[in-house]
Amino acid sequence: MDNFLMLAPVFVFFIALLGMGFYVQKTSADAKAKNFSKEYFIGGRSLGGFVLAMTLVATYSSVSSFLSGPGVAWQKGFGWVYYASTQVVAAFIVLGVLGKKMAVIGRKTDSVTVVDVIRKRYGSELLANFSAVVIIVFFTTTMLGQFIGGAQIFSAATGLSYEMGLLFFAIVVVLYTTVGGFNAVAITDTACAVVMVIGMVCLGYAIISKGGGIANIMSVINETSAAAVETGEGFNMISPYAESAGVDTIPMPLYITQWMLCGVTTLGLPQSNVRCLSYKNTQSVHKAMIYGTIVVGAMMVGMHMLGVLSRGVLLSIPEGASTDTVVPSLVTGYMHPLLAGLTIIGPLAATMSTISSLLIAGSSAIVKDIYIHRKEARNEEINQKFVGKISLLCTAFMGTVSVIMAITPPDIIVWINMFAFGGLQTAFFWTLVFGFFWKKANATGALIGSVGGLAFYCVTMAIGFKISTFHNILIGIGTGLILFVIGTYIGKPSEEKVLRMFFPEKY
Amino acid sequence: MEKMTYKEKFIQMNKEAKATWIVAGIIIVYWFASGFGVYELMPEATIFSMPAWFVLSCFGSWILSIVLVIFLVKKVFKNFDLDDEEEEM
Repeated sequence: MDNFLMLAPVFVFFIALLGMGFYVQKTSADAKAKNFSKEYFIGGRSLGGFVLAMTLVATYSSVSSFLSGPGVAWQKGFGWVYYASTQVVAAFIVLGVLGKKMAVIGRKTDSVTVVDVIRKRYGSELLANFSAVVIIVFFTTTMLGQFIGGAQIFSAATGLSYEMGLLFFAIVVVLYTTVGGFNAVAITDTACAVVMVIGMVCLGYAIISKGGGIANIMSVINETSAAAVETGEGFNMISPYAESAGVDTIPMPLYITQWMLCGVTTLGLPQSNVRCLSYKNTQSVHKAMIYGTIVVGAMMVGMHMLGVLSRGVLLSIPEGASTDTVVPSLVTGYMHPLLAGLTIIGPLAATMSTISSLLIAGSSAIVKDIYIHRKEARNEEINQKFVGKISLLCTAFMGTVSVIMAITPPDIIVWINMFAFGGLQTAFFWTLVFGFFWKKANATGALIGSVGGLAFYCVTMAIGFKISTFHNILIGIGTGLILFVIGTYIGKPSEEKVLRMFFPEKY
Repeated sequence: MEKMTYKEKFIQMNKEAKATWIVAGIIIVYWFASGFGVYELMPEATIFSMPAWFVLSCFGSWILSIVLVIFLVKKVFKNFDLDDEEEEM
């Protein structure tokens, strides 16, 4: 009975998502007949402010924000919340810096993907193809990671097997993304963001009331923390450095690079900045900056803080268990089943909204950036109906492959996934920032910068080379910058026609 | 909605991007000062029973971000047509 009560809200939510997918597919049929890829991959540039904000935030907040992050916060304390709070800038930086320029140029050049924009700016086939491949590889591995995380939550919370959990929610997310395209992704992302907030509020209420109020919870945390400092086992939960046995476990250099990896350089993430091509007008982007900042801050600070406070309720976890189990055991152990079902949708929604966006953007890299582009280059006519068919097929195929791989995840994929988040930023940050704001930037610079930066990042990550305790994103972005500048001074400037379009203010 | 030429839009967008970076910079400085700074000065202080450095830095940066973004949008950012009207003329 409890199991049923808990699954009920989850299934209602799944059915609602599917309904949205199919509804969108019906309503956008006319627009798709005219220009399929514009409608399917960016929703015909029609997003309003609220939906733009929610889809950006939902895509950005993944399984780690709802599961791994709060789990670590449970263990390390307030330092981990401080560490996660750098993400408050993630929503407004990408929209404020790139938002309008990408929208204006996107309209002028009829661009549908980030790779389209890069190809127009630098005029380099090699760079465009490299970018498309980076997107396909890293998006597939990230999706896989999300599938694994989502299935784990599902099975931990419901008692179903991992495979069953995977199957259930994978089918839902792949199906609505495939049939509905970007508009379905945006609308379901919005629904996901809303339930994430609801789930968080339910969880917060449960933790604080079980713990007997914040003051009570804090006295437990203070005691635990004092004992940890004395014995050297565990973490100082009330210090930003989260010392364990006298060693800083979140040292200052890590905080500094966190401002890059989860703050400033997130504007390079293609799954975020592709959203700059999809909104309706300047009013939408202005509103989205405000809403996005409110929600991303509430979620990142809120969820991680709840992780810490839950220490007042859940003193210890079984020996050898991962801190990822903290949130599921809170939900199943301390909440009414119906409410637990509602809460567990939160992390599932975080997973699904990330997968759907990666899926649609990954599919666009194959269909639009590789297939349609080749056709156009050869001056062949483009049959919108046929494009429609292969787009759906491609989305479904990418989704299915990731799901199958998630059943028994190959080590190599799990390993590549470790580089995905920083790798995408390294490959795209300078290409986009310099592309839009530095007239001299050219193809040689962009190519050397993104290939070199990415190579340095991945190799140093793989061999475990580190500068002090800085995260390797510093190496990736740093070498990317140096190589980009060197390449730009060696290479030829971009065509004047292009520069007049991207930098009219210089003429 | 303001009528702007293609060139004027780019001058405006450069200004907006610069202002966004400045706002991000202010938030980062505030975040360091209210977190590490307050912890160094008053490690024991609490607000609502929680460590003061935590409340001031995490909730403070969040609220400061919202306030500054509203300022950006209302005072620096301008509404204009994202399509290029000149071309059709």
